Amino acid sequence: MVRLFRIITHIFFLYVLLLVGNFLQEAFQLFIPGSVIGMLLLFALLKLGIVKLRWIEEGTSLLLKHLTLFFIPVTVGFIEYFDAVFSVRGVLLLSITIISTALVMGGSGAVSEYLARRKEVQHD
Amino acid sequence: MTEIIFGIIAIIITVGVYAAMVPIHKKINTPFTQPIIAVSVIIIILLLVFNIPYETYQLGGAWIDFLMGPAVVALALPLYNHFERLKKLAVPILSGVTAGSFIGVSTGLLFTKLFGFERELILSIVPKSVTTPVAVSIAESLEGSMSLAAVFVVIAGVSGVLMSPLIFKLFKLSSPIGRGIGLGSASHAMGTANSMGRSELEGSISTIAMVISAVIVSVIAPILVIIML
Repeated sequence: MVRLFRIITHIFFLYVLLLVGNFLQEAFQLFIPGSVIGMLLLFALLKLGIVKLRWIEEGTSLLLKHLTLFFIPVTVGFIEYFDAVFSVRGVLLLSITIISTALVMGGSGAVSEYLARRKEVQHD
Repeated sequence: MTEIIFGIIAIIITVGVYAAMVPIHKKINTPFTQPIIAVSVIIIILLLVFNIPYETYQLGGAWIDFLMGPAVVALALPLYNHFERLKKLAVPILSGVTAGSFIGVSTGLLFTKLFGFERELILSIVPKSVTTPVAVSIAESLEGSMSLAAVFVVIAGVSGVLMSPLIFKLFKLSSPIGRGIGLGSASHAMGTANSMGRSELEGSISTIAMVISAVIVSVIAPILVIIML
């Protein structure tokens, strides 16, 4: 019971940061989503030692552990686009997504690996 | 009253099927048993079989959506926990993820524009390489479709994990850095889960890539949309 209360408090704190992020986005007309601003705020607060890890850890870890659960309803929204996906256009979109994804993976991985190798060589 | 009951049933079924799928995925570790894919497919089939509109399901689903925002904020935790490692590998990680973010957004825009797709669709494909809650908020602020964005995110996740052995060979990615950055940048949480299965080092690098690419894409997507669209 105490644990549940703690977890709810932790998640509520994350929610407050989300609201602050949303507020900042509106106030300064930022194009970064409020949730990402909230995340950067939490990171800064942890790094500056203003927020202690143990104040938020239990609820935060729980959310991270079940990250995929929260986006199931949005994914189920796919159902509204059924006709659009199972068509020539759908196949085309599928191909575009797959090709783009392959390029992202290969490109980002190759750049990182090349630079990390070069760094190692320099250290030797 | 009936709306509340429908909502509660939707929540119980979603959480219940998810809870059942997690141990199954642990035993049979394939991309198709990943809870996000398997549970969504099961719920879609249930809705189709019982002829329930998505709107009705969302009476409960919206309550689960409510936690997406806090879940994004929670991603600060792995970033904070791995900060020391991140600092040491800062240049390779940031360069790789930045390259990936640009490739993902620009090829998505370019290809869909080339084939003459409508604006809402183009804007929904843009954030496909980042984790769903961020992709959904990016799509929302670009005025694309949130649900469609979530679909592209899932396709990027599943196809990325399935293609990864081939991509590793093709691009000669043999280190945890190259593989972790590639999977985290292209296939978000699904890629990260896949990396975590190989080694914890690769998994944490992949987590960092997922978080950083979420930030970079949310910054560059609106800019590239203005330039390219």
